[in-house]
Amino acid sequence: MFTNLEKCPRNLLVCEKSSLLNDKSRHATHVAKHFFNYKVSVLIPECGITPSGLKSVFNSFSKYYLLRNLPVYKLLEEEFLEKVVKKGSLYALSYKTRIDQDNTFALLPSGQVILSVDKDTYEELGLEGKASQYNHRQPMRYVVTLDMTDKSLAPGGKRYKRVMWALQEKVQLTSDFLMARYSIGGNGEDLLQSIFSQYSCRELRPSMSTQSLRDLLCPSLDPTDLHGDSRSCDPLQFLEWLGAVTMDMSCNNEASSFVSTYCCPEPQSSASQALLCTAVGLLLPEDIHSLLEELRRYFDEPRFTSWLSVTVHGFADSPVSWGATEHGFHKGGENFYTFVLFKNQDYWLHMATGTNDGCPP
Amino acid sequence: MVNMAVFIDLNISYTADTKKLQNIIETAAHLGYSTVAINHVVDLQQKKQEIGKPKCVSELFDRLPIVQGKSRPIKVLNRLTVVVSEASHFRTTNEVKSYDIVAVFPKTEKLFHAACMSFDVDIICIAVTEKQPFYFKRPPVNGAIDRGVFFEISYVAAIKDSTLRRYTISNALSLMETCKGKNVIVSSGAEKPLELRGPYDITNLGLLFGLSEGDAKAAVSTNCRAVLLHGETRKTALGIIHTVKTQPTAERQEEEEEAVPAVKRAKRETL
Amino acid sequence: MSQPALYERLVFKNASVYHYLKIYLILDNDDRKINAVYFKQMIISALRDLYGEIGAAFPFDVLKFEEDTLTAVLRVYNSGLVKLWTALTLLGSYQSEPCAVHVTQVSPFLLALSGNSRELELD
Repeated sequence: MFTNLEKCPRNLLVCEKSSLLNDKSRHATHVAKHFFNYKVSVLIPECGITPSGLKSVFNSFSKYYLLRNLPVYKLLEEEFLEKVVKKGSLYALSYKTRIDQDNTFALLPSGQVILSVDKDTYEELGLEGKASQYNHRQPMRYVVTLDMTDKSLAPGGKRYKRVMWALQEKVQLTSDFLMARYSIGGNGEDLLQSIFSQYSCRELRPSMSTQSLRDLLCPSLDPTDLHGDSRSCDPLQFLEWLGAVTMDMSCNNEASSFVSTYCCPEPQSSASQALLCTAVGLLLPEDIHSLLEELRRYFDEPRFTSWLSVTVHGFADSPVSWGATEHGFHKGGENFYTFVLFKNQDYWLHMATGTNDGCPP
Repeated sequence: MVNMAVFIDLNISYTADTKKLQNIIETAAHLGYSTVAINHVVDLQQKKQEIGKPKCVSELFDRLPIVQGKSRPIKVLNRLTVVVSEASHFRTTNEVKSYDIVAVFPKTEKLFHAACMSFDVDIICIAVTEKQPFYFKRPPVNGAIDRGVFFEISYVAAIKDSTLRRYTISNALSLMETCKGKNVIVSSGAEKPLELRGPYDITNLGLLFGLSEGDAKAAVSTNCRAVLLHGETRKTALGIIHTVKTQPTAERQEEEEEAVPAVKRAKRETL
Repeated sequence: MSQPALYERLVFKNASVYHYLKIYLILDNDDRKINAVYFKQMIISALRDLYGEIGAAFPFDVLKFEEDTLTAVLRVYNSGLVKLWTALTLLGSYQSEPCAVHVTQVSPFLLALSGNSRELELD
C-alpha cells in the first residue's frame, strides 16, 4: 500500500565535455538556447578580489523592464513585430504567473510567442494548439505556439487577423511582463519604452552581489575525467558541493556527526579563499555568453586554481527550458546549467532539468 | 471564475473573532492559496442551531490580501456544512442557497447513501475525529462521483492529535479503496494560522491518504474548482428556469444549450 | 599545452540518490530559541510519531540551519523523501507549544535551491 511513499519524480542531468578551442563545440548554442535566466553565479577558487574584467562584464549586463498589465496582443502588433521582434534578441516572459496554476506567456528571441493556458482559456481562444505534455487524467493545460516569422502569420493575413481577434475580442489576455532586448549599442531599450509608453514600465538592472569565502575544501577536478572515475569526483557530487558552497553550508563533517554528515567529495584540496559573484534578474543569453568569454581569459595569466565554475538558473515558471522544449512545474521547476572551465580551455557543461521538462539538449 | 489549476482551501473554520479569521486568510494567501472558503458548521441535532445567512466577505477586509507570487488578491467564499443525523435535517432553504458551497456531514450509513445519491450538495465530509462508523459502499460512492459531488478529507485533526491522525489516515485509505482517488478534495479545517499548510505540502500529504501524485495535486486545485462550479450550477439552477420564461425563442434555445453543458462540464472535469 | 579534450556526453536519469528540501519553522512563541541539534531532534521525533522506530532511524542531514530565521536545508535519500516531508507537514507542536513547518522548495539537485525564481520580488 505504501510503495508510492518511496517513489520519486524523475530528473535528468546531461554532462558534456569538450574544449572551447574545438570548432564544433556546442557550448555557445546551449547558452543561446536557454532563453530565460534568473540567476548566474560564478565561483573562482583561490581568488580574493573580483577581477576588473569580470566586474565590468557584470556591470554591462542588459537592463530589463517590468511592464504592468500588458495585453498579450500588444506583442503581436505590426509595429512591434517590425521594429523589434524581427530584429531579434527580444525576450519577454510573463511575471508573477505560475506555470502549474496560471496562464503563462513568453516571447522567444526566435520570434515565437508561447501561450501556455488552461483548458477554459484555450477553448475560448479557439486557436490551434496542443495539449501540454504534463497533464493529469485529462488535459487541463494547452500550449499555443505562434511563430511570428511564419509567412502565414504575416500582419494583414487571414490567420493573423484571427489571432488578433481571439486575443482582443474573445479573451483579453493580459499579464505583467519582464522584457529585455539585447543590443550592442544599447539603443534597443528606448524603443521598447516608447512602444509601450501607455503602460506602466519600470526599468530594472540585474542586482549583483559578491561574497568572499574563506578556508574551504574544494574538489580537485581533472578535465579528462568527467565521469569521476578516480581523478575527479562524479558530476552529481560536484554539483552538490557547488550548491553547498553557494549556500554557505558546512562541508567538513564526519560520518558520525549528528546534525549533518555532509563533506566535500574526494579528491579534494583546501583553498584559502574563493570568490562568489552572482547576478539576479532577467539575464540574457548574450550577456551570459560575454561572461563566459571574459572568464576564459581569466586563465591567460597564471592562477592558483585549475578550474572555475559558472552556474545559470532558469526561471522555474517559464513555459520553455531549452529552445521551445516545454517546461513545467511539478514539485519544483528546476532547469539550470553549470560550466566548469579549465585552465587549458577544456570545459564541462552540466545541464539539469526536473520532472516536467524535456531532456536538456 | 477562478483559473483552473490554482490552489484552493475550501475549509477555513468560521470564528466570530474577526482578527483571527483575517489572520488565517492572510496566512492562506501567503502560502499560495488563490481561493478559500469560510466554513460555517451547523449541527441541527443540537438545539437552537439554525442556518443563518453567511457573513459578508467585504466586511472582513478593506483590501483582500495578495496571493504569494501573484498580483491578484485572494478570493474568499462562504461555505455551509450541515451535520446531519436524521434525514429530515437536510432541506434546501433560501438560507442554504445563499452560500457559495454547501457540504453535508452524514453521521449514518443511510444518510451517507442519501447524501451521495440525492442531497443537493457539493461536498460530502469524511469523518476525521472518529473511526469511520460505516462502510463506504461502491454504489453510493459511484453515485456521488457521477453527480459531480466531492468527498472531503480535512487534515487539521491529523496535525493536532496522534489518535485523530490515525483516524484521518485510516478513514482516508478506506475511502480511496472505494473511490480510487476520484472526486476527492483535501482541505484544512484550520482554526488558527499555524494549522495551515502550503499546497505542495498537502499534495505530498495526499500520498499518505492513498492518493496518487496527480490525484493529490488535483485534490487541492482542479477538484476544488470543480466544487465551485458545481456550487454555482446549484445556485443558479432556479434562475435559469426563471429567465427562460421571459426570453424570446431563439435566445431561449441558446440559454438551454448553455445551461446543460454547464452541469455536464462540472461533472466532466472531475473525471 | 595538452590536446583539446575529446567530446564526451553522459546522460543521467534519476541519478541523484538524494532529495533536498528548503524549509522554515514557525513557532507560536517568538521568544523561544532553538539550535540545530534540537531542531534535528524535533524532526526525528516527528518521524517517530508517524512512522515508529524505523521512521526515527532513517538517515537525513540538516545541511544548514539558521537560528535567527528558523530556515533549514535538509538532505534525505530519495526513498525517504515522502516520509520525511509528511512528518514535517503533520508536525504541530514543539515542546507542547504550537508550531508549523513549511517546505518552500524541493529538488533532487542541491544547487537548484540556490536559485529559485519564485523568490524574485521586484515590487
